[in-house]
Amino acid sequence: MANPTVILKKQGEIVIEDCPIPEPKPGEVLLQMQDVGICGSDVHYWQHGRIGDFVVKAPMVLGHEASGVVSKVGEGVSNLKVGDRVAIEPGVPCHTCKNCKIGRYNLCPDMKFCSTPPVHGNLAKFYTHAADFCFKLPDNVSTEEGAFLEPLSVGVHACRRAGVSLGSRVLVCGAGPIGLVNLMTAKANGASEVCITDIDEKRLEMAKAVGADYTVLVKSRDGQEVARQIEEVMGQKPEITIECSGAPPSIQTAIYATESGGCVVLVGLGPADVTLPIVNASVREVDIRGIFRYVNCYPTALAMIASGKVNVKPLITHRFKLQDSVKAFETVAKGEGIKVMIHCA
Amino acid sequence: MAEQNNLSAVLYKKGDLRLVDSPIKEPGPGEVQIAVQQVGICGSDVKYWKEGAIGHFVVTKPLLLGHEISGVISRVGEGVTHLKIGDRVAVDPHITCRVCEFCKAGRYNMCPKVYFLATPPDDGALARYFVHAADFTFKLPDNVSFEEGACVEPLSVGLHGCRRAGITLGHKVLVTGAGPIGLCAMLSAKALGASAVCMTDIDASRLEFAKKCGATHTLLVGRDDSEEGVATRVSDILGAMPDRTVECSGAQFAVNLAVHATKPGGQVVIIGHGPTSVSFPVVQTVAKEIEIKGSFRYVNTWPTVIEMLSCGKIDVKPLVTHRYRLEQTLEAFEMAKSGQGVKVMINCGQ
Repeated sequence: MANPTVILKKQGEIVIEDCPIPEPKPGEVLLQMQDVGICGSDVHYWQHGRIGDFVVKAPMVLGHEASGVVSKVGEGVSNLKVGDRVAIEPGVPCHTCKNCKIGRYNLCPDMKFCSTPPVHGNLAKFYTHAADFCFKLPDNVSTEEGAFLEPLSVGVHACRRAGVSLGSRVLVCGAGPIGLVNLMTAKANGASEVCITDIDEKRLEMAKAVGADYTVLVKSRDGQEVARQIEEVMGQKPEITIECSGAPPSIQTAIYATESGGCVVLVGLGPADVTLPIVNASVREVDIRGIFRYVNCYPTALAMIASGKVNVKPLITHRFKLQDSVKAFETVAKGEGIKVMIHCA
Repeated sequence: MAEQNNLSAVLYKKGDLRLVDSPIKEPGPGEVQIAVQQVGICGSDVKYWKEGAIGHFVVTKPLLLGHEISGVISRVGEGVTHLKIGDRVAVDPHITCRVCEFCKAGRYNMCPKVYFLATPPDDGALARYFVHAADFTFKLPDNVSFEEGACVEPLSVGLHGCRRAGITLGHKVLVTGAGPIGLCAMLSAKALGASAVCMTDIDASRLEFAKKCGATHTLLVGRDDSEEGVATRVSDILGAMPDRTVECSGAQFAVNLAVHATKPGGQVVIIGHGPTSVSFPVVQTVAKEIEIKGSFRYVNTWPTVIEMLSCGKIDVKPLVTHRYRLEQTLEAFEMAKSGQGVKVMINCGQ
């Protein structure tokens, strides 16, 4: 095949088909794809055919955590040349609406985001993308690390919205890949102490290995109970909580655990409606802020990796070739490993 | 002379401003064609005419002037959905690249590849028709006139400066310089909730006018006054040191006055363009933790200013003191140059 492409034909069915090699439009580049990480959302579309209002109604190319090498440059592109290794920020907004103009393009109503239906992803051999959303990798950053900028950016955006800075005491709820990038980003931001929670002991071990100061194995659904445990372990309440699981008991814990005047940011997505101890949050002025993907974070994430402030290599636990993509997805679905990457070159 | 489909005011070189015909452009994708209605004259238009340059922006080829614009949509380019023929509009003179780090971060006024009306070599819009980016063109509500629409531009300079200063409810504000920009800063500060705005100037008639437009306090600065002396009088008049100062004159005296007058922990925003370098009291700045911020043009202001005009929170009408038709452009520029008026407006409608 000239351009093997991994396609979700419909819920439950992933195939690899040949697709025409696209031509870059003005402002775009053609990329020879290198590495693509699998996200929980990719798996969710595969298994459930939808996430909320985003429904897979037609075959859709999967993949959005990606890196590539520029193989053709479209008209008007001056920031990249053939041969450049790049990380690909998967969401291209309209650039002209009010949200785009005020610097919050992640909220653009006309956002085209890879592998959020109906927009195709980039898990293929060749793919075209807006040049201004491709970031050149320095020589010391691998294409796997380039693909990792995507989840790492979620951490950068959450820590920014949460106000993590030097001396912050941070609680991260959930030790999956997103919890881990938030832990690492919080420490890179100068957090003095990060406590991380999970229901899975093995995940907490990995969290300790990448820098968690404290871990709490969650055995109860009682938010106040778990909050007390956290406060005991940390010695005092955290000022900031980054909730990365989406599980209602964990969100409740996040609010109870956070110090008055602090901030809870919600990264994890779970049920659409959740019961929250809202009066507790309100009378203690604990702010609750939503997080949607990221905005203007790729350069920061890249600088963190290039300068050695974070090391994401230990989080890449499984590697597959493009033709074995279905096995890769099955591995993620089974909950094995942390980040599974597919090599497309 | 050939048929004047698009009578335009073109500056051929310093001192040589002519009314000539220009081609009427067709709007491309994402653009609109606008039948220009009102155009305000800015000090910068007058400076390019008188001196042929401002800083490193030099008029080296014919330049269409005018960037304070209102009009009516006459043609709509492909893909434009929020505007239609007949819509009354006000224009943000920027056309930015939209893809650089500044555009993406919400600070398009810093875009290095910006096209800005009437800053050489970019043509302005003092003509019957011009074409502009649709996303920098904003609909006017029925109760906002074309003259007010053209004033959105200078008001935006004032609003952006006040936003940079963080002016909010209850603040006491000092505005140095009572020209059109100082007036726009005062109007914006009041709309943002400032409880008092004291304006200073060296010209008593400008201060009289400022009082009529809404300044709560004014203070005439004398030739032999010291910055510290005036600073003390400002705080006497206001009852306290101002929390925020917006500098709109460019004069070294005013920059110094701003630092001396502003309350510890306060902010000074500098809009005024004067000498490239000025001397200012750095020790006071440090000891009082004064933040000094530059303010350049404006960013994301049109929707807010239009809304403030529509609901009556800002009344800019008194600022328009002289009116001319496009055919009388040279007279209009002479009036603007004389300094007699505040805002001189040119009607380009047919």
